[in-house]
Amino acid sequence: MSPVINALSYQHFPIYAIMVLFLGAFLIAVFGRNRTARNVLALLSITASLAFILALIRPVMLGGEIIAYWLGGRVPAGGYAIGIALEVDALSLFFALIVAVAVFVSGVYSIQYMRHDDNEREYYTLFLMLAGGVMGLVLSGDLFNMFIMVEVLTFAAVALTAFRNTATGALEAAFKYLVVGCIGSTCILVGTAMLYAQAHTLNLAQLAQLLPGNLNTATKVAFALLFVGFGTKAFIVPFHPLAADAHGAAPASISVMISGVLTKSGIYGIIRLTYFLFQTMNLGTMQFLLVFVGSLSMFICVTMALAQHDFKRLLAFHSISQIGYVLTAVGLCTALGVSAGLYHAMNHTLFKGLLFLAAGAVLHETGTTDLGKLGGLSKKMPHTTVLFLIGAFSISGIPPFNGFASKWMVYQATYQKAVESGNIGFLLVTIIALVTSVLTLASFVKVSQSVFFGQLPKELEHVKEVSFGMRLAMGIFALLCILTGLFPGLVTSYITEPAARAVFSVAQYISAMGFDASGVAAESVVSFAHVGVWEPISWLLILCIALLAITIVAVASKYDNVSQRSGEAVDTKYELFYGGEAQEFSQVGGGDLFWGFKHNWRGYFDFMYRLHSGVVNDYALWAVVDLALVMLFSLIVL
Amino acid sequence: MILLNYIASFFLIALGLYTIVTKHNLVKTVIGLSIADYGANLLLISIGFNPGGTAPIYTWTELNPSSFFVDPIPQALTLTSIVIGACVTAMSLALVIKLEEQYGTTDTREIRRLRG
Amino acid sequence: MTIVISALQYLGYVLIFPGFLFCFLAGMLLCGIDRKLVAKMQKRVGPPVLQPFYDFFKLCGKETIVPASASKTTFLMAPLVGLAALVVIQLFIPVFSFSAFSGMADVIVILYLLLIPAMSVILGGAASGSPYAGVGLSREMVTIISCELPLVLVLLAVAKTVGSALGTGLCFSLSDIAAYQAMHGSLITKISMLPAAVAMLLIIPGETGNHPFDAAEAETEICEGLLAEYSGAPLGVYKLSHAIKMLTLTSLFVALFLGGLGTGFVALDGIILFLLCVVLTAVSISFVHAITARLKIEQIFKFYWTLVSGLALISLVLAWYGL
Repeated sequence: MSPVINALSYQHFPIYAIMVLFLGAFLIAVFGRNRTARNVLALLSITASLAFILALIRPVMLGGEIIAYWLGGRVPAGGYAIGIALEVDALSLFFALIVAVAVFVSGVYSIQYMRHDDNEREYYTLFLMLAGGVMGLVLSGDLFNMFIMVEVLTFAAVALTAFRNTATGALEAAFKYLVVGCIGSTCILVGTAMLYAQAHTLNLAQLAQLLPGNLNTATKVAFALLFVGFGTKAFIVPFHPLAADAHGAAPASISVMISGVLTKSGIYGIIRLTYFLFQTMNLGTMQFLLVFVGSLSMFICVTMALAQHDFKRLLAFHSISQIGYVLTAVGLCTALGVSAGLYHAMNHTLFKGLLFLAAGAVLHETGTTDLGKLGGLSKKMPHTTVLFLIGAFSISGIPPFNGFASKWMVYQATYQKAVESGNIGFLLVTIIALVTSVLTLASFVKVSQSVFFGQLPKELEHVKEVSFGMRLAMGIFALLCILTGLFPGLVTSYITEPAARAVFSVAQYISAMGFDASGVAAESVVSFAHVGVWEPISWLLILCIALLAITIVAVASKYDNVSQRSGEAVDTKYELFYGGEAQEFSQVGGGDLFWGFKHNWRGYFDFMYRLHSGVVNDYALWAVVDLALVMLFSLIVL
Repeated sequence: MILLNYIASFFLIALGLYTIVTKHNLVKTVIGLSIADYGANLLLISIGFNPGGTAPIYTWTELNPSSFFVDPIPQALTLTSIVIGACVTAMSLALVIKLEEQYGTTDTREIRRLRG
Repeated sequence: MTIVISALQYLGYVLIFPGFLFCFLAGMLLCGIDRKLVAKMQKRVGPPVLQPFYDFFKLCGKETIVPASASKTTFLMAPLVGLAALVVIQLFIPVFSFSAFSGMADVIVILYLLLIPAMSVILGGAASGSPYAGVGLSREMVTIISCELPLVLVLLAVAKTVGSALGTGLCFSLSDIAAYQAMHGSLITKISMLPAAVAMLLIIPGETGNHPFDAAEAETEICEGLLAEYSGAPLGVYKLSHAIKMLTLTSLFVALFLGGLGTGFVALDGIILFLLCVVLTAVSISFVHAITARLKIEQIFKFYWTLVSGLALISLVLAWYGL
């Protein structure tokens, strides 16, 4: 009786959530030739994983408990950790929740999206391995376990990027991702080795107990290595071209995973590294490092996105720009900042997932993602257009969608930090963030015009709306976007705030594993009071009343007394104005939708275009230079 | 002697990174990746060394307080890392084969359709 | 019973003052006064002051033609959403000491809400499927990008000044800024705020899309760009939105910089607000309209991001260091 009850107790749920994904991968590899068996197995495992994670919300987030789970029952002996541990506190559960939701929706979408591919069995195996790897990464409490999971997810992501190997650039993108990704993994391995050499333990909680205050050269170099390694996974600034290549070439459901889930795993690694292992975030220079890298990512990637011709590549650059927001907010080391950063991370998975799925729908129906060749799709794919517009408004931060709520918190956080520290640099960060937001809006206006509005080219006359399964997946994300935007108070108090509190409660993290936490500073008293007030429900209510009044007046006065003009033949000589890009064969620059902006900044754009040369050696050079700089920085500063 | 191991491992890692950055052939890039991995493995195994220690294999009757082993954990980590290195090499060589089929060349300066 | 009364009161705010009716009358009057002033400055007679009202009612009676390549729902709904959003923004701006809903929003929210009417014009243009609209919406978007940076700097400068005076360090709430100015006098009397005020005066014609920053609606080049395919009542609604936007931006200027000039009575405050808006329109919109030629789109961008941002930045730095 009691072993059965024990096996169902929620203490075991983290390991079940990971194992059910790996088990699903294995079973699909064995039984996957039959389509129904494959779909059923995949859906079962991702639903089971999501269910286990949701069941953990109550004890961990609402109850404030930290689950410390030693695999094989090997509890610490003599004050030293001897087994592999999983430790789930609110921060881990927050990221696990994001991962589980993204995996679920992406899995539902894949069923219809990959229907016409062969090798579907391999696809689902790799997909579930990727999901299991990320789940293992965020739930693990052991440093080498994190390295193994990083390797698993890198492999699965590279293989999935190259999945459709006849697509343009898929193999090339996968190779570049593999090379620089493995440089990053090697950095994590060497960093782990050096930490083990100094502390003789791999357990995160014990390292958090032993390391702070005892930093020598080896541990400082280890910090730099681990930071660069996790940065490679998060695709922040010197590694952002890989993101563009990988997202652009991968199938859409995998782009959702890479941009929504892998980047978050890199951010999770950086948070664990700086806030827990080394506990150096109260140093102004460490905050400067994260905020500087984040601001660079924000700005460089949004300007690069304005110059892109390919739909998914553009979405990828925007993805890294939003990760820049997250890193900047997390690097502020204030309660509001970390809370805003985590909220934005969650929102980013939701709206970016929605945008990539819409891009995948367009690719599935039309066969191309080139902005110059698409146009006028809103008449043929109206539902996709509406869902895409919801995603575009969310990422630009238009109220009442979720992007606005989290970006507003980020601005409050940076401005508050600027005032508290008296440092005008943080004010510059606020300004960069606000300008990036409007540039994001500009970019999505261009994409909407190029892809969904404008004139329908003759080649795309046969396009129809995508199937119900794909629309359902997009609809789930859109609904979540709207809900998290309308109820920011609920989301903050139940989901992001426990996670943000967990970031500052290192002593509890250590003592939950059974180690002595007396040497560590007690839970820092951080005030979670919010600076401003934003009540979307009241605002939305007023807007609806106003809109209702106006619509009543309009309808009463016969506003829609319309007469439709008869259709005429599509005139191809105006086609160049619908593409949204400057066409090569025409000297009229008016087709390029941001000519005024790009003209003033032409030196910068030319430089950036030459710099992102596409050669894998150049990208590796950036990685090595970045490693050297961060090493120098940490040796001087820490 | 152990210092020589550390110096050699960092030299191998640096050599691997140098190869990835400067060589323009796909296969040489993969070799550089492998060299960097081997350097990391050498570092790992050298960390666990205790001078005068024996191999950490015992039966229950042999275990007493005066036994002195080398650290077994880095050995486990190194085995894992060797396997991962082999998988990385396999996957990257598979990609190199298909790249050569598709692009007709193994020069990285030619394989740059995605750029900008 | 009290719920019914306060619901009726809020409904009154939304529909009458400072909501829809006030916006309609005051906005159209401002538009008419602007055209008359420009004509006088150019030594013409000009249209009567009530001309925008005549135009609006005439347009409402005309037939609406929807082009075949347009998406009908977006085409017809976009003007209405833009108008509703503008009315809501006007509700959030305090009329000296009277604030209908302004406790609910602060300057950053207003900054983002101002994007919604612009987006509605852009979406309406995009939905019409015309190539002129494509060029028009790109210019509109670049104009928005250009105006955004100096507007951000001006708002941050004001927030910092009021915040450091109140001791909290930062103060984003418009009703707090209004209360501060009621006690200590208008912000424009401070020397450090003067560059910011000049910058805001230059931002107003850019945001409303008036001459010389109206490259997006260039009648002579792209046949009114975004509005090329519109006719009848939707076109009337867009013209109304344009007029209300003038009112909104000038009353934002009054709330930020001229807040100390109010009395306590709501009716009197409303009239004083309207008169100040007329003066501001004359200075920042009409005067500049009458003496300049239209700027090219990259000139607009360069102007805003160098000169106007520079002015606002001076104010921000002065406010930051407490001068």
